[in-house]
Amino acid sequence: MTIIYLKNIGRFFFLVFFQILILNNIQFSGYITPYFYIYFILLLPFETPRWLLLSGAFLLGITIDIFSNTPGLNAAACVMMAFIRPFIISSISSGTEFMMGTHPSLKNQGIKWFAYYSVILILSHHFVLFYLEIFRFTEFFQTLLRVLLSTAFTLLLVFLSEYLFYTRE
Amino acid sequence: MRYLLYFFRKHYYYFLFVALEAVSLVLLVNFNAYQNSALSRVSEGVAGSVLEAYSNAFEYLSLRRVNRILAEDNARMHSSRMEAFYQADTNSFFHKDTLYKLEYKYISARVISNSTHKRNNFLMLNKGKDQGIEVHMGVIIGNRIVGQVVSVSKHFSWVMSLLNKDSRISGKLKKNDQLVNVEWSGGNYRKGDVREIPKHVQIMKGDTIITSGNSDIFPQGLLIGTIDTYTIVQDDNFNNATLKFATDFNSLSYVEVVIDLMCKEKEGLKTSFKSSN
Repeated sequence: MTIIYLKNIGRFFFLVFFQILILNNIQFSGYITPYFYIYFILLLPFETPRWLLLSGAFLLGITIDIFSNTPGLNAAACVMMAFIRPFIISSISSGTEFMMGTHPSLKNQGIKWFAYYSVILILSHHFVLFYLEIFRFTEFFQTLLRVLLSTAFTLLLVFLSEYLFYTRE
Repeated sequence: MRYLLYFFRKHYYYFLFVALEAVSLVLLVNFNAYQNSALSRVSEGVAGSVLEAYSNAFEYLSLRRVNRILAEDNARMHSSRMEAFYQADTNSFFHKDTLYKLEYKYISARVISNSTHKRNNFLMLNKGKDQGIEVHMGVIIGNRIVGQVVSVSKHFSWVMSLLNKDSRISGKLKKNDQLVNVEWSGGNYRKGDVREIPKHVQIMKGDTIITSGNSDIFPQGLLIGTIDTYTIVQDDNFNNATLKFATDFNSLSYVEVVIDLMCKEKEGLKTSFKSSN
């Protein structure tokens, strides 16, 4: 049990630094910004208490915010994403029981399940993030394009790391 | 009362969600880049030192380009010295102390964080209040503009880049001094928008746009960019154009902060006029 906590805390710090020091400095054509740090929320164990899920997401978002000087922006998006996570899981798993101590993964749940799960969650996060950042509707379709392209890129990173760091549990 | 508590316990997830989301939104609305107090304390502490360490580690990668820019700047300054001018009229003379008064001073600072891919981009510089930087000062590189200081802490300052939805630069066409506004509408960091060009002004691809000096932030005559495309808007009094920025925002490593030494005098004049009315 302790090892799961340690694993997740380690992942938290790794993803935060990876995001701040590397991904925040990457940009493609002004439309794509990978927000890979939300991989942390995707990989939290199934039986994570709901309050911990929400506060963990809030903490993650606010940490990223402090480093990119956008207080509340990433936090709002992360909390929204964590909020809908349990509903998404229960709506696409059709009553299957999950093993204790496991987390959502490509190999355990299958590609279809994991694709649904991550697309919806990443999309919800990016949607809130980009529209809160711009905070007006005059550039609606331009922002929508940024949401979709960035979602595709974050998704690519998520799948890549699912294949790279795969261990069956 | 018991039922109320039960109700809260049962639906705590929704209440917690609403509470956390509300906290985030309050933070977002209250502490945007213009409020500096709470934020700069945080950024000075952890974030500032981490970002500075990162920038220290990668500084050498850009030295080649920095050198070239410095050499170009040196050449430009040499050619604008008094000695570089040929004096045709030997009778003319001037008192340097009364005719020429220093108006702008420049401090060089290192960029320790920068972005170009967001809708609202900011830079962090490694100098702050202790080095004499204050809010509303302009930031330039060579003779091209970068942005303006929006918040300062003791050792760092936070600069709103031109690539920001709140950034609005007063510029003018170099060839006929017509005033225009320069903004950025997101997307490509090399291209900006020129707004409010009067209908009668002839404009062509390649026209240079420079700062107007009207805003008290930038000295007059700094390079903003050149006109790229030009569109005629039918049902409006103004036309629009896009421009190619002179500054490469993605490769900033050393910039200069402009200190307007006569800023207080200008401000004082404005306020005394307002209060006398």
